[in-house]
Parts: sequence; structure tokens; C-alpha cells
Amino acid sequence: MAVHILGIRHHGVGSAKHVQARLAELQPDMIMVEGPVEIEEVFKHVGHQDLKPPVSIMVYDQAQPKSSIFYPFAAYSPEWVAIQYANKHSIPVRALDLPAAVSFQKQRLAQQLAEDEALEEVEESEESQDTSVFIPFTDPISMVAKANGFASGDQMWEYHFEHIEEEAEEHFEKVMHLMQSMREDGLESSLDEENVDREAYMRHLIRLAQNEMYTNIVIVCGAWHAPALLDLEGTAKSDTKLIKKLPKKKLPIASTWIPWTNGRLSMFSGYGAGITSPGWYEHLWNSQDDYEITWLTKVSTAFRKEGVDISTAHVIEAFRLSRSLAQLREKHSVQLLELNDAILSVMCMGDEVLLDLSNRHVVVGEALGEVPSEIPKMPLEADFEAALKKLRLKLSAAPKQHDLDLRKEIDLARSVFFHRLEILQIPWLNRTYSRNKGTFKESWMLKWSPEMMINFVDKAYLGNTVESAAQEVVLQKLKDTKEVNVVADLIQLSIPAELFDELDALLNRLNALSSVSTDVLDLIKTAPRLIEISRYGDVRKTDLAVLDVIIQQILVKINISLPNACYGLDDDNSMVMFGGISSLNQAIKIFSNDELEQEWFQTLERVMRKDGIHAIIRGCVSRLLLDANYLDEAEADRVFAYSLSVGNPPQEVAFWIEGFLKGSGMILIYDHRLWNLIYAWVDTLDAEVFIELLPMLRRSFSKFEFGERRLIGEKAVKGLVDPNATTISLTESDEFDEEEANKMIPVVLQFLKPV
Amino acid sequence: MNDLVLSAADQFAEEIENLIAQDSGAVPKGWQMSPQSVVKYLMGAELKNKFVVSPKYIGNQRLMEVAVATLTTDRALLLYGIPGTGKSWVSEHITAAITGSASLLVQGTAGTGEEAIRYGWNYAKLLAEGPTEGAIVETPIMRAMKTGKIARIEELTRISADVQDTLITVLSEKTMPIPELNMEIKAQRGFNVIATANNKDKGVNDLSSALKRRFNTVILPVPNTEAEEINIVKTRVESQMKALELPAEVPGLKDIQRIVQIFRELRNGQTEDGKTKLKSPSSTMSTAEAISVLNSGLSLAAHFGNGTLSAQDIGSGLVGAIVKDPVQDSIVWKEYLETVVKQREEWKDIYRACKEIS
Repeated sequence: MAVHILGIRHHGVGSAKHVQARLAELQPDMIMVEGPVEIEEVFKHVGHQDLKPPVSIMVYDQAQPKSSIFYPFAAYSPEWVAIQYANKHSIPVRALDLPAAVSFQKQRLAQQLAEDEALEEVEESEESQDTSVFIPFTDPISMVAKANGFASGDQMWEYHFEHIEEEAEEHFEKVMHLMQSMREDGLESSLDEENVDREAYMRHLIRLAQNEMYTNIVIVCGAWHAPALLDLEGTAKSDTKLIKKLPKKKLPIASTWIPWTNGRLSMFSGYGAGITSPGWYEHLWNSQDDYEITWLTKVSTAFRKEGVDISTAHVIEAFRLSRSLAQLREKHSVQLLELNDAILSVMCMGDEVLLDLSNRHVVVGEALGEVPSEIPKMPLEADFEAALKKLRLKLSAAPKQHDLDLRKEIDLARSVFFHRLEILQIPWLNRTYSRNKGTFKESWMLKWSPEMMINFVDKAYLGNTVESAAQEVVLQKLKDTKEVNVVADLIQLSIPAELFDELDALLNRLNALSSVSTDVLDLIKTAPRLIEISRYGDVRKTDLAVLDVIIQQILVKINISLPNACYGLDDDNSMVMFGGISSLNQAIKIFSNDELEQEWFQTLERVMRKDGIHAIIRGCVSRLLLDANYLDEAEADRVFAYSLSVGNPPQEVAFWIEGFLKGSGMILIYDHRLWNLIYAWVDTLDAEVFIELLPMLRRSFSKFEFGERRLIGEKAVKGLVDPNATTISLTESDEFDEEEANKMIPVVLQFLKPV
Repeated sequence: MNDLVLSAADQFAEEIENLIAQDSGAVPKGWQMSPQSVVKYLMGAELKNKFVVSPKYIGNQRLMEVAVATLTTDRALLLYGIPGTGKSWVSEHITAAITGSASLLVQGTAGTGEEAIRYGWNYAKLLAEGPTEGAIVETPIMRAMKTGKIARIEELTRISADVQDTLITVLSEKTMPIPELNMEIKAQRGFNVIATANNKDKGVNDLSSALKRRFNTVILPVPNTEAEEINIVKTRVESQMKALELPAEVPGLKDIQRIVQIFRELRNGQTEDGKTKLKSPSSTMSTAEAISVLNSGLSLAAHFGNGTLSAQDIGSGLVGAIVKDPVQDSIVWKEYLETVVKQREEWKDIYRACKEIS
């Protein structure tokens, strides 16, 4: 009834090699590997040719998919090696740890407790101080390591156990011995409390296996637990007591394999396995002798790919330096630390930025695991993968740009798919606008990382297909909002995603909200977007007659309340309104509904004539009306003269000019009357007032094209212009042939004729 | 002894002796102690016989390990960094620890010629005897090659590019050809070169990639933490006071801490609490500058004051170190003075002192 306990470091290459050797020696009839019992069922897939590490087991509660734990494995994880061995030799392999159901329940209980306490504390008023003693997360191995002058527990482990040639049996005895003495020293760990239950349960499982008459059991578990599993008989009674106390509710726990990446294994990221250099470990696992040189060539290849010149001499020198460093540091072999120091000094000219490059590409590595297609999946995920296959898309860790031509059927289908995923907020995609802003083109940047699968688990409750889940998201958001803006957003998202079923609901809501909305600015901001949808909606083969009606209603509402909404705004809010009016004006032009346009201009005229409206808005609407030929010449003259007359405070005039000249200064060049008015106005300013206004004027003028500014400057040199000289000479040459030029006029007219 | 400043080898002779006596590591040929002991000499340590070696470099031990390990290979060492981060200091001490003397030095300038790197001629002899070995004037580099010592080149990047490149043969072939005599000098084991160069200067000549390849580079950074920097300033000021025999009191930790804080804040462009953004002056604001501010303050206190460092003594040095460009920097300094220094209750004395000067 031998039980062999192999204490390992999770993801330790040395441990893996020793486990491999030890298993071959022992030929066990049962292998038990640390991990919650629920993951046992997926062990059978290890060894399948399509299950390629790095992969992770995901254990989750089907009722509450947010409760999930990940158990990542690399090819060099000792557990992986053990399971692989078991499957290859048809030896039963079991998981050895508390059920995930128990851990989840304990977590929830603790959370509940914390929340209750928080509530009580609020009730008890401030006098009660937080009395609970905070035990920082310490791992005893790191503590011992620090005391012995190592930077981390990993480094100490490496020094003592990883790179020493020794027999596997001796190795595990040494590990057991060290851990035992550490535990006997009573080093505390914040995990202690949890470990009591876990280790009791582990012992319980081993005893069960023994009762089933397995006689040669190998246990692969974290080194720290190893000593606790030695005494099986003496602890039987107390363990039963402990186990009885554990939460017993059954949860619908499921486990499955998901692909993982090296990046995820490393410490840089969230669900990491806590190893900083998976690429390095992988290298150690795969290479025998000469691992330093092969490593350096790997790094230099990565550098060369990035355009850094690295010669063979660099590799040789880096190798020698790393050897000298290891000697200097009295280590028995060259480690990553030495190699990195050597690479930094020899290859990177001491420049850390370059070293980061090698860190990203080589030390961490970019490997992405694979999972065979027959492993059971959640319906949503399965639908996602089916769509991937249908649309010929691939998941890759390296970013890939997709330029879609929406006239092609497959690209259109892809676009719809992407838009749905966007609604689901799957961070796989990033919309990058293609340079060509035509409506047939779309660009997306795709970068996959395996934990994105979590999103599908997380959202599994929304629906069983990507489409229905996206629909559900839209409907939920719709329920929660009271802003017209948000509804417009949702419509804008739904149309390219071809989620037409709930479009009615969206439009109804839009209608309802917009008719009670009192926030004119919200409507002004929304209208241009709705117009855009309506105008370009047909690109997506959508009929949006209802939308047009809503737009008309919104515009009517705006027309009624705009003058009052503009009244009495301060500088900042006027600026916002100014922007809103300009873009809405643009949109109304696109909408091309003559009746609405006329009403809009009437509204603008009212705004222009109303007192108490900020000068920048008045300037803006004057210009819009002038451009639309809404004002006749005499009226325009009057408005300009009035706005620019000396009686107005200079500040206000400057704002008016800014609003008026927005975008283009051409008007100053060809309209002499306006020019004279502004010229005269500038003339009336005191030097002091002028300097005060200068920044504001500069703000208006600096946005003009260079040519415009030059012409204005040339005009300013001449001073006041005779208002009747309405033509400006476009050519300086005296040889201008009028007859020849006149021949052009019919052609130009042809161009200008409305189609 | 009347030397203004003792050389590293003399000043720390006792430490070097003890390190050699207690050395248990393998000593490379031409060295007087093992690489481990050199690192101990640089970083400070307590030896087996309880003798305490003082730290010479306060900072990351890994950098010193790389530097020393480089010298055991046949690549030369290039110490790189902004002025005042201790490049020359480190180079002098490494050399002193390895060979017992750091006197083989070439100071690089824009006018350094080939004859300062390779060899020159004694023209009287050259005319009298023609080119003979006796007519050659040796340079520190040549002497180092012949004796298997370490030569130092200060400010390598100030030397013009064509002169720099004469080093390539020396560093890769470890020989120095003398074509006039149809012979060559072969470097003895133990020979190597430590060069220093600075990357913030104007008018520097970048190393050619052929030469770059002969060097392993170690960048010496500005101190990471305030505590580290205070430690450096304190150690250096105390040792210099001893050397200059200033009859003044050792400055209190508070004064050192304030000056270091001023320097760090201006260098990093923000206050230590990260709440206020500051402009940085054009000067480098290195640790070495902070040390010299304290030193000049101390000598003021010793000779014109009452022997105790006062805010007035610090102020003049501070303004001089920070305001290098009379227009730009003085704006930066005034802003800092008014927005940061003035607000700090315990800094009133510095504020008043600096206000008086500027």
C-alpha cells in the first residue's frame, strides 16, 4: 500500500522532468493530481493530438458562470506530464482537492459575510474601528527565500532544485525534507486556514483510493502540501469531522478545456499562473544541452526580425559574459537572469527598451494553445465557433486587420457578425476606420486572447446564439435608458448588426422618449445621427420609413424650442450649441426635405433676431442663412452693419466674427461690403482693446487655409475697398483673353445644373 | 600627505589589502583579487575577519556584476549615462580594485589625437636616431597593454570618430602595430579598457558600430529612490569633508534630504507626492551636482559662517547649480520657489535665503 508523494512546483520544468523520471521508475497503478475533483472528467482529453498546451481547464458554475476558476497547463507543467503519462499507459488518474462547488460556496459565504459586516458597520456609526487583523498574503517559501538572500521563492527553488543533476527519488526526498522543516518551523501563510480543509480533503481522497485496493499510488501536488499528506491513518477521524462541516449544497459545476496563451501564463496579466517567463521554461523543457546558446540564438533571431543588427559575434560574447556572470554569482549554471544581463549589455547597448522586445517575444512567447473541436462547449460558444468556420475567420494572438468590402456577400456577413460581437462587447475586435471613408468599406482589427472565451461563459445566459444574445443586450439597455441619445446609439449599433426584430421596439421607444424630452441639446445631437442612419440606411438594405417620421417630429420639436434654448447661455455652453447647430444644419442639407429646410431657416432667423443670445451663435446662424441665400442682400447688409457697429462691446463683436467666419474666410475676400465693415470696426478699436481681442480673432483666422489668409492679408494692406468693385481679378496677366474664357461658361453651367 | 584628493587605490588601500587577504575565489590572471571580491569592494561587505568594506557604488548590484564580469571576458567595458551618475567614480574604483592603481588614464577631448591613444614620438630622438623603439613615447594604453593592466578612457564620445576607431585593433586583436618599426606590441593577460561616455552632451561623436561591438555597455542610471540618493550624497559629502579637512560640522540628514528632494523634484518634473507638475531646468540635476552644492555650502559655512551649515550657505550653491540658462532656468526656478518651496512650512529658511539671492 505504497503512497508516493511527489512535491512539485507548479509549472516547474525541473519538477516536470523529475516527475516523468519518477513515474517511469514507480509504474504506479493510480495517479492523483492536485486540482478540484470536478476537473477529473476532462483529464481524459489530455494526450489528444488536438489538445495543444498552453491550455487551461475552466471550472464554472453553470447557474452563475461568473464563478469560475482556471487551471492553466503548459507542456512542462508536472501535472500535465503526470496526466499524460496516466492516459498513455491507461492508468486511472484522479483529481485531488476540495470540490470547486465547496470553494465557490465558501467564497460566496465569505462575500456575504463581508457585505453584512459592511452594512453593520454603517449602522454602528463611525466609532467602531476595524479590529480584524489583516494577514498579508505571504507564501512561506518566498519568506524563507528572502531570508536566504534570494529575490523570490522561484529563484531559491531554481537554485536548489531545478538545474541540478540528481536522481528523481533523491530530489523528491529533498523537497519533502525542506518543506517539512519549514512547516515545523511554524511559518504562517494567509492560505493556512484554507489549506486545513483542502489537505483534509486530499487525505480523504487518498484513503478512498486505498480502500479501492490501489496499491501503488503516486500523488502529484504542490510541494507545500506534500508533508501534510504523509500521515493518513492518524488524521482519519479529525478529517471526517472537518469534511462534515463543509458546505454541502450541490452546484451544477462543469469543466471544459479552453485555449490559453503564454502571455496569460506569465505574471503580467490577470489570470496568470504566476510564472514570469513561460517562453524560457518552454525552452528549458524542450532543449537538452547547450540551452544557453540555443536560447541566445532564439533571442538574436527575434532581434533580427525587428531590424536590430545582431551578429554571431554578439551571441558569442553574450554567452561568455553570461558564463562569467554565473561564475561571479557563484551559481552552478547560467540562468535567465544572467542571460538577460548579458543580452542587455552586449546586444542592447544597455538599453532596456530593446530588452523588453526580447522579453515580449521570447521570454514570454506568443504561443496560443488549441482545443479539439469535440470537447463539449456552451451553446453560445459553439455558435460563435460555427460562425467563425462559416465566415472563414481565425482566432490568432497576433493582431490581424480585416478590410471588408460590403458589396461582397461574405464580407457583409462578416461585418454583421462583427457588429453583433461588438454589441456583446467581446474585446476581440477593434474597429479601425479604413482610410477610404466610403460606405462600402469597413476595417476591423482582430486580436484574440484566450480569456475572451470567458466572455462567452459570462454571457451564456443571454441567449444560445450570437444573434439572440446581442438582441438581448440591446433590449436590456433599451429598458434601462431614458435618453434619446442612447436609443440612437442602439439603433446605430443594431442596423449594421442586422438585428431587425427589435427595431420596432427601439423606434417606439425613441418616439416615446423624444416626444417627452425637454433637453433640446440632446435632440440636436441625436438628429444628425438619425438622419445619417436614414440617409445611408439603404446601404444595408434597410427600410426606415418609420425613422423618417421620427426625425421629422424631432426636427419640429427642435424648431419650436431652439430660440429659447439658446437664450442666456454662457460662453462654454454657447460653444457647444454652436457646434450642435452647425452639424445639424449639415445634416438637414443631407436630409433634403425642402419643407423642413425652410422651417429650419425660419427658426435660425428667429434665433438671429432674438436678444440675449450669445454673439457666437448669432454669428453662426447669420452665416448659415447667408450661405443658404435665405437673406436678401439688403437684409444681409443690415444684419452685418448692425452686428459690427461700434455700439456693440468689442468682445461680443469678436465672438460674432468667430461664429460667422467659422471654417472659411473666402467671404471676406469676395464680399467687399462685409470686408469694409470689419475693416472699419477694427479701425475703431483702441490699441489696448485690440490686444485684448487678439487671441479671439486669431482663433477665428488661424483656421483658414494658408491661401485664404494670404489673400486676406494682401487685401488688408490695401485698406477699405470700393464696394462696387465686385469682381476680383483672378489673373495678374494682361494677356487675359476674355473671348476664350467665355467659351468655358456653358461647360461650367452644365456642371452646376441640378441633376 | 599634501595631495588635494587621494587616489582610490591610496584612500582605500586598507580595504583592498584585506580583500586580497580574505579572498577565496579564483583570481584571473593579471588581477589582484577575484571578481567576487571586486564586487564586494564596490558594493561594500563585511569580510570573514569582521573587517567592513565601505560601499563605493550605491545602487543596483547587478550592474556592478555585469561590469566586473565583462572585464573577465575579452570585451571592453563602456559605462554610459548622463553626467554625474558616477561613471568615472565606478571606473576608477573597479580599476583600483583589479590592478591596484587607476593611473593609466586618457582624458578624451575634442582635441585628443591618435598619438594620445596609440603612441607618440620623441622628436629629438627621432631626428637623431631615426625611428627606433627608444624614440617612442608610450601612451597609457600602450603601457597598460605591456603590463597587463586596465587602461581608462574618460569621455570616449568626445574624441573624434577617426581617433576612436584606432581603438578597434587594440580591442579586438589585443595588439598595437607599430608599422614604422615593423613590429607590434602584444597585450599581456589582464589588459582591458574601461571607457566612460555620456549621452546628454552636445557635440558628441557616436561610436562606430565596429567599435561599439567591442564594448559591453552598462548604463548607470540616476538613483531610483530618494533614500538611495540621500545615502549617496551623505557618503560622498562626509568623505570629501575628510579629504578637504573642512572645519565644519557634518550636515544634518534634514539638509541633505531637502537638497536631494529639490534635485529629484526638478529632475522628474513633479513633486515627490506626485501632485504638482513642474518644469525641469536645462541642467542635468545629477546627484553629483547635489553633492557639490552641499560641499560648497559647507566650505562657505566653514570659512565665512559659524561652521554650521545654514540655509544661506546652501542657497547660493543651489541657485548656481539649477540656473544654468539665465532666462529659461530662472523662470523654472522662480516658479518652483514660489509654488513648492514657499508652501512647505519647514522650508521657510531656504525660501528666504534663495529669495535674497535671486
